[in-house]
Amino acid sequence: MTCFFPIYFAPAEPHLVPRQTANENEKEANSMSARSKLFHWKDPWDHSGSEDLFLQAMKDNLQEQWEHCPEYRSLAQGLDFQPDQLQTMEDLHRLPPLPTLLFKRRKIIAEPHRRIVFRASSSGTTGRASEMGFRAGDLLCALQMGLRIAGFRGLLSSKASHCILLSPKPDGKKAAPRTAWAASLLSPVRSRTYALRQEGAKLIPDIPGTAEALLRYGSGSTPVRIIGFPAFAWFLLQQLESQGERLHLPKGSKLLLGGGWKEFSAQQADKGTFYALAEDRLGLSGPDIAEFFSAVEHPVLFTDCPNRHLHIPIYSRVLIRDANTLEPLPPGQPGIVNLITPMVEGTPVLSILTDDIGILHPAGSCGCGTMDRAPWLELLGRGGISDLKTCAAGAAEAWKGAAL
Amino acid sequence: MILANGTLLDSSQLENVLQHLPDALSATLAGPPLPMQCTLDALVELGHRFTSGFYDSQLSLFPAEMIAQYKSMAASLLTRESLEFRIRTELEDLLDTPIRTLHPPTTGPKLQVHTLPLGVLLHITAGNADGLPAFSVAEGLLTGNINLVKLPSSDNGLSLAILQALLDIAPALAPYLYVFDVPSSDQETIRRLANLSDAVAVWGGDAAIAGVRQSVPPGVRLIEWGHRLGFAYLSGEVSDADLEGLAYHLVSTGQLLCSSCQTIFLDTDRIEDLHAFCQRFLPIWDRAASSLPPGSSIPAQAARTLQRYTFRLESFLPQTAPTSTIQEHRSAFCALFPREDSALELAPFPGSCLVKRLPRDQILPQLRQQKRLLQTAGLVCPDNLRDSFTTLLLRAGVSRVRTARSMSLYLDGENHDGEYPLRRYLRTADVETPSR
Repeated sequence: MTCFFPIYFAPAEPHLVPRQTANENEKEANSMSARSKLFHWKDPWDHSGSEDLFLQAMKDNLQEQWEHCPEYRSLAQGLDFQPDQLQTMEDLHRLPPLPTLLFKRRKIIAEPHRRIVFRASSSGTTGRASEMGFRAGDLLCALQMGLRIAGFRGLLSSKASHCILLSPKPDGKKAAPRTAWAASLLSPVRSRTYALRQEGAKLIPDIPGTAEALLRYGSGSTPVRIIGFPAFAWFLLQQLESQGERLHLPKGSKLLLGGGWKEFSAQQADKGTFYALAEDRLGLSGPDIAEFFSAVEHPVLFTDCPNRHLHIPIYSRVLIRDANTLEPLPPGQPGIVNLITPMVEGTPVLSILTDDIGILHPAGSCGCGTMDRAPWLELLGRGGISDLKTCAAGAAEAWKGAAL
Repeated sequence: MILANGTLLDSSQLENVLQHLPDALSATLAGPPLPMQCTLDALVELGHRFTSGFYDSQLSLFPAEMIAQYKSMAASLLTRESLEFRIRTELEDLLDTPIRTLHPPTTGPKLQVHTLPLGVLLHITAGNADGLPAFSVAEGLLTGNINLVKLPSSDNGLSLAILQALLDIAPALAPYLYVFDVPSSDQETIRRLANLSDAVAVWGGDAAIAGVRQSVPPGVRLIEWGHRLGFAYLSGEVSDADLEGLAYHLVSTGQLLCSSCQTIFLDTDRIEDLHAFCQRFLPIWDRAASSLPPGSSIPAQAARTLQRYTFRLESFLPQTAPTSTIQEHRSAFCALFPREDSALELAPFPGSCLVKRLPRDQILPQLRQQKRLLQTAGLVCPDNLRDSFTTLLLRAGVSRVRTARSMSLYLDGENHDGEYPLRRYLRTADVETPSR
């Protein structure tokens, strides 16, 4: 069968990608913008080789926002920042980091708005949603990156799969259902089963029904791909366990996880328990389970290595900031996660201050091999009011997300 | 985990425990009643052990900040004086005469009036305060009830640890305590537990209470401890000291408690007065907020830092007021939102407060519309008007009137949302004494 993605087809060994030479890059990259060159770069973990492109792409994006997004300019000027303060990679911390909360409270999109071809909003599962605008070039970067990372993880396949999507059918601007749906396209689709349905503002899960579909498909020879939020994957695994069902999914089957535990953080299983149950109930382990991290405000795709660490691809840089002073912290110390990328021009998300608390581990500290040339991010949980306990009427619902 | 009659069991034993529970409850109910003194002594010893460091090694799993807070709570709530004062305040004469003899004025036999525990009390508690399930159970035990507990999903293990420690001190309490770590989604188990109970004490927001209602069969008493709102009411000349008190309250509670101020009402019908108040109060609140020492938990620090930082950034953008056409007042740390209506509302986010007009003649009709939510009023007014304003607020449905600074201060003997819990966990029975 013809491969859908000939250029980015997965290497035989997903964790071993050949380094590309400077000459190869030069030939390919002439007359393209620094951003395009960066997203064309063949090795997504080659931070040192792509550093100059990253910096130039950041400068270009900064200039774009400065000229075409008056809100961004006002914010930057308010913080006494001028574009010429970004000269080297060491200056990245000077870029005004904008909190995700700001995007939940204000719509800030670069002009002209007619160039926005795609809008997406955060899941808003714990409060208000951010709305982002994307230009065509942003989407192209996303596509290139998605295929590159998926290819690296061995997720591109020409063999049709049954897809169990742990999300509702895409409808409207919500990014998570769209992403899960798009991830189902990494192989030809034999069928799609949605584990959740949207009823007004509510998501109604049907875990027993999904388990039934999984049992049906699991006994065949067509690979099965389970894609979506880890919380629902966990509930699905527990459902199989309670029914005493143990599957050995057909060869080529995958479990693709992304999106965090959201409002189910109280039920969050530790990774060891999760992967052990997945192996026990689905027969999936090692590279057949892939975890991703991304956000609508920072749509760069991070993925895990054989040691289950989320490595930072070349399209992104991560700073950890002190929870009190917002000053950058050295690697190894916990603080607020600041994500930096030149990927998006439609919305000024060059430098985003998330409400995640994390630790940055330097390149070479993981020991996983290929991906270890990139630093990795350990997420410790979420900061903010959703972690605080309240008994004020309505506060639990209204304040989550509203104040972080 | 399940704690049943003093034994810690794995959750997989749930069905087995539920099957044997009716017989176990009957056996306990048929036995001698649980003396209040037994629970009281155990609670006092628990408080003593807590504060003296007996549990420090077990508590090392919790953040230091939380341990200090627990210890300070134990030191004030679990002393013999404090507990006895509370019991006497709530139960009054019932304590001394659990069986009274009545001589009805009309002809007829004498009546013996018994004050008894409700019997079996199911506690469905919220996760909004650490150790709340243990607190609720203590009230159930003090009144001699058998307690079935559904732990909140977000319980951090503290409740079970406290209850185990209590049984360790007083093993006689074991038959009066069953703790179940079942999720709220397990409606079937909750229904079975409710069916075995004489009353269900439910803590939580509207959604939690509505959910429990569906599981409680008719005839089983539902004791609701719902979420409420607090507000400040300011009338006449307000001193800087009063405003500093209100600011201290807002900052020290983080506006997270039912008693925390969410809306500030001014005794005026002029919108300009709201703006003048905001201009005066904002810097005072800001000063109080900036002097707050940073907390030791990184998520809490992050919440506050990000909130302040976002405020700061928003001040660089053209102002918008999505829900009101009138001007907002913001500082680096706080925000005041004047509004044209007079409804009591939750503040948009911690670190913000709504400011509204509520002329004195509108207090009762306006607040009555939200009687379900009313709890604490922080009253700031001239001394000579304090009594009349207090009466008006109480008649509107408020259950606690305090000074602004003390809105969330716990006072021994205070009511809980207008009720004395210990009284609610008791029932009255009459026994005819036949004439001989």
